[in-house]
Amino acid sequence: MTTLEEIRPRIKALESMPTIPATIQPLLDMLRLPAEEVSIEKVVELVSYDSTIAAQCLRMANSPLFGRRNMETVRNAIMALGIKRIEAIVMGCCLNRIVPPEKWVLDPVVFWRHSLGCALVSSKMAKLIGYPDPEKAYLAGLLHDLGILVNMIACTDEFRQCLQKAHDERVALHIIEDQFLGFNHCQSGKILAEQWKFSPDLTAVIEFHHNPNPAPVAAPLVATVYLSDLLCRLRDLDHGYYEAMGIDLTAERAWATLAEQHPALANMDLARLTMDIDGSMEDITSVVDAVFKPHRAAAS
Amino acid sequence: METGVAKSVAKPETEDLKDPAYRKIRDMIYQISGIYQTDEKLYLLASRCTRRMNATKTTTPAEYLDHLTLRGNRDAELRLLLNEITIGETYMFRSVPQLEALRTVILPQILAAKGGMGFKRLRLWSAGCSTGEEPYTLAMFLLENSDKLLSGWTYEILASDLNDNSLAAAKAGIYGEYALRSTSEALRKKYFKPYDEKRLQATDQLKSLIRFDRVNLNDDSKMIFLKGLDLIFCCNVLIYFDLASKRKVMQHFFANLIPGGYLFLGHAESLYQVDDRFHLVHFPGTISYWKPPAGFSGAKKP
Repeated sequence: MTTLEEIRPRIKALESMPTIPATIQPLLDMLRLPAEEVSIEKVVELVSYDSTIAAQCLRMANSPLFGRRNMETVRNAIMALGIKRIEAIVMGCCLNRIVPPEKWVLDPVVFWRHSLGCALVSSKMAKLIGYPDPEKAYLAGLLHDLGILVNMIACTDEFRQCLQKAHDERVALHIIEDQFLGFNHCQSGKILAEQWKFSPDLTAVIEFHHNPNPAPVAAPLVATVYLSDLLCRLRDLDHGYYEAMGIDLTAERAWATLAEQHPALANMDLARLTMDIDGSMEDITSVVDAVFKPHRAAAS
Repeated sequence: METGVAKSVAKPETEDLKDPAYRKIRDMIYQISGIYQTDEKLYLLASRCTRRMNATKTTTPAEYLDHLTLRGNRDAELRLLLNEITIGETYMFRSVPQLEALRTVILPQILAAKGGMGFKRLRLWSAGCSTGEEPYTLAMFLLENSDKLLSGWTYEILASDLNDNSLAAAKAGIYGEYALRSTSEALRKKYFKPYDEKRLQATDQLKSLIRFDRVNLNDDSKMIFLKGLDLIFCCNVLIYFDLASKRKVMQHFFANLIPGGYLFLGHAESLYQVDDRFHLVHFPGTISYWKPPAGFSGAKKP
């Protein structure tokens, strides 16, 4: 097992790791305050400063994924989505901005379809099994592949080759990264997560989402995202190609880890969950297209 | 036969879909048939119900739900609704993810397990083959992979249905543009010959791989003689069985399959609470049910 210290020098330009855009930081700081200290007025004000974030809040609140309401004002959208979901949206926008257009070697639409899909499946699974914080599962699902962004920024060409090789061989991306780069997006994602002072739980998800057996921190959350990530990669919310795999999720060790703490998992109708994912595919695509297609058009 | 999405179906008003009766009907159908309509596909269910509501002269979904649950002829009505839901023609190469799973994972797995034992023969069964689109697709798929993946192997496809008319059409193997819409020009040339101006007929080579037979899945005396199958395809057939018969058919399928064999159902069908010996296995874009070999140690449920 490669240690992080061995990896660090190998990630070129690590010193210039992206920082959270200065315009977003105050909003994030506000959203992360204890619930009773968050001022909705201030959040509305800060969100309104940023037209992309404001538009995405409205779009998400009005999306079928969120129950399709008729929210016309940013304030209503924020009230409907809740602080946690706003944080996820802000983080998504933030991540989207740290990658320069020419470095998106993985199509941003593909990346966000997978990330949003994983967020939705994680929170859905969390609700089904009685995990106490489904919004945390949502955020963890959304951000689990942070390291892919790091790799695109820090080693663009090598990562492009990894992606191509993974695509050609129909193998999971992290396996090719390990072979080709000597590390994978779990490790590089962890470095950025620590730099950005993510919570230990979130950092654990980013670090262990391909190797959750079991994670030393937040094992149920990591297992939830691990299983959701697998499901998404098996349901057309993948990294843009079919992996040659057949997986019995109930035989995964992560399944047992999760079931230990959440016995309701044993009775979850997995086939139905899968069909629900298929059913929401169009909505995920439309939300992602609406938000990220213009970005891609500008990039190309 | 796979559930078809009828193009002519108009999306009912969104307000209508909020009627909780539709979700109740959806869940009832799922429990009874294993066919599941997601929230996003509820409009489709609603439109099918509308047809039956017109026929039964009911005006609200709630009233129609009563027809399905309380009235004396509820079983017959449910059957008629299920017929509406599964209506629609199918076509060849409908499920590409299924064929991809076969090619990249399932067949290599089965070939490796069987090759070592010296049996170089594959047996596939299309149970409920309707007018034959599925078995012909499988036959083309096998022939296309005969050079590399299946080199040195022989294979046969059993195609069965209860309906004599469907079976006769399947044997004739005559198809129009709809059935061939996803079949490439190259495959059409290779495996079909002109029949009339608008239709093509399967070549004898293609037909020779398939054995057509009338099989009633409820007929125990016939089912117990089907042995050594590697793969069973049974799409939207289970809807015609009640839970007890479904369980019985699954027991047969389980016995019909070799250890390590796979069962494929229709894309919206599930075995949840029908059978727990099969393992649900996910492949990219498709799911399948796997018969574990004896002594398989991977825990199904913790």
